[in-house]
Amino acid sequence: MLCSLAGYGFARLEFPFRRTLFVLVLAGLAIPGEAVVLPRHQLFADLHLHNSYAGLILPGLVTPFGVFFMTQYFRAIPKEYDEAAMLDGASRLKIFWKVLLPLTIPAQSTLAVFTFLASWNDYWWPLISATRSDMYTLTVGLAASQMNYAQTSGLGFLMAQAVFASIPIFIVYLIFQKQIVRAMAGTAVR
Amino acid sequence: MRSIWILLAALLLAGCGRSEERSGIYLQRFFGECGAVFGRSTDVGKVEGECGIITSMINKFNAENPSIPVSQNVVAWPGYPQLTAQVAARDPPDIVTMHSGVISDYAAKGLLEPVEPLLREAGIDPASFTPASLRAVTIGGRLYGLPWDTHGGLFHINLALFEQAGLMRGGKPILPTSADEFIAHARQFKARTGKPYLIQSLVGDPAYQTRNLYTYLMAHDAVIFPDADHVRLRTPEARKIMNFFRRINVEKLGTLNQDTPAAIATFMNGEGGIYPTGTWMIGQFEQEAKTAGRPLHNAYAVYPYPRLWGRDALFVSGHVWVVPKKRDRTPEQRSALARFFGFMAKHNYDWVRTGHLPAFKAILEGPRFNALPHRPEIAPLAKYGQPLPGYVQRQSAIEGLIGEEMAAAVNGQKSVDGALADAERRVNDLLGQVD
Repeated sequence: MLCSLAGYGFARLEFPFRRTLFVLVLAGLAIPGEAVVLPRHQLFADLHLHNSYAGLILPGLVTPFGVFFMTQYFRAIPKEYDEAAMLDGASRLKIFWKVLLPLTIPAQSTLAVFTFLASWNDYWWPLISATRSDMYTLTVGLAASQMNYAQTSGLGFLMAQAVFASIPIFIVYLIFQKQIVRAMAGTAVR
Repeated sequence: MRSIWILLAALLLAGCGRSEERSGIYLQRFFGECGAVFGRSTDVGKVEGECGIITSMINKFNAENPSIPVSQNVVAWPGYPQLTAQVAARDPPDIVTMHSGVISDYAAKGLLEPVEPLLREAGIDPASFTPASLRAVTIGGRLYGLPWDTHGGLFHINLALFEQAGLMRGGKPILPTSADEFIAHARQFKARTGKPYLIQSLVGDPAYQTRNLYTYLMAHDAVIFPDADHVRLRTPEARKIMNFFRRINVEKLGTLNQDTPAAIATFMNGEGGIYPTGTWMIGQFEQEAKTAGRPLHNAYAVYPYPRLWGRDALFVSGHVWVVPKKRDRTPEQRSALARFFGFMAKHNYDWVRTGHLPAFKAILEGPRFNALPHRPEIAPLAKYGQPLPGYVQRQSAIEGLIGEEMAAAVNGQKSVDGALADAERRVNDLLGQVD
């Protein structure tokens, strides 16, 4: 949703430094997560956000890729839709909400799938932000189950946990397989 | 639209709240999460393995000390990224398991409390620690934790294959007394059994190689780290040891291309003679030795590294309970920590059933420990086992660097001299960057 709002702004609205800001967003695509993890960790510590749901959710809420992706999608929608809605007296927000957003559902579902997969599989940020076991994500919890240095005991139990951990993502795939295949094919061909 | 604002508000509110209020001791450890298996068991004597024993010990402490509830945080092995993140977020746990080689990294930055007052309150005399354990927690004359064990490499041996190879005498394996004899035994073993004499975890485990190098350098009384900023590897001793490792691989007397789990499986399946790995595997191998039909059934023994050069020596590490520094720790919380120290010291025997060596002389020399399988043979390690000097920081990273270069040398990708020079340069570069 936030990526859509930003994408709509970059694609449709005129405001000062729009191009500069968009270039900055694109630059974010080139910066690896590891480069920002220390300042982000410090920021979240100052805001007392570690070991909280917000601490896990906020970093993935908006990504440069999501903004770029939605901007490109909004740009591909003919401006005549906006103009027709304006003639009917719709506000900018109403145009976004009622007219354009429903047209971006394929892109949003693609982005949602990518975001879900990335969040589900994320290990590094939850490892250092959700440091209390009651806030562990599945990836960190599974890693914490490793019983000895040699990784040779309790393997059956560990594998059973891994199987259960994979069930939700399997269900997501079954439900959204059309979108996932389209998203993968789209990123490969375009 | 309203739902979006409600969602955002809920997220922000969720961020303001903490997951729980603290009371008692907030303990952080590795060794895995096995509450599903051992639940609320307090019968420490009936459980096995590191995870089971530590879980039931903490359950027992909670049962015996209802006024000091211990909440456990089990971290992904070995837990240092999480601990560092917690320290950076000014939210460290009250007490943490730590390998002795890592203590210097945290102690040098003033992040750990010296524990002499806690030991005093718990009635623990540091003179009761084994020499190896005392060395492991002492940095700059201060004690930075309660040592809990000593662990290091051992020769785990398949007696059935040794018998087949003609390397048994009086029911005991004949171990080499020099590097040349080692090679001769290995050739004989391979010729008679068709299997490798030595099982090695050379893939993804650089520490394996480095710890072997440390051990044999210590046997030469070599000074590996002359000061906090330098390592000394371009020496005749290091060259001799590296050439020995290389010879093993050139003659294919050991396994190649195996990681740790593969090497363990190879040993348990009876596919090699000796597997040099840690004390922590004794329990699992002993279980194999007790199980009829398994390749190691009645055919397992374990001994310290044989003396190939110089004197008896072994590079060792240890598990230690350390106390991160906190400004707002109350006298009551200190007393609770002292009580926990006392409990852990009192139950050190229960822990060493895992295979590790005790941290206390009284247990090491006591009848219960020595009645455990193989313990009389390995007990001397607690005396002559030697960690790196306490002033050496980044020991884990250094193990990785030296191990990489050693792997390149024993695989023939680099000359021995080139690998040692590169290892020395890389380690010195790293130590030069340490604050």
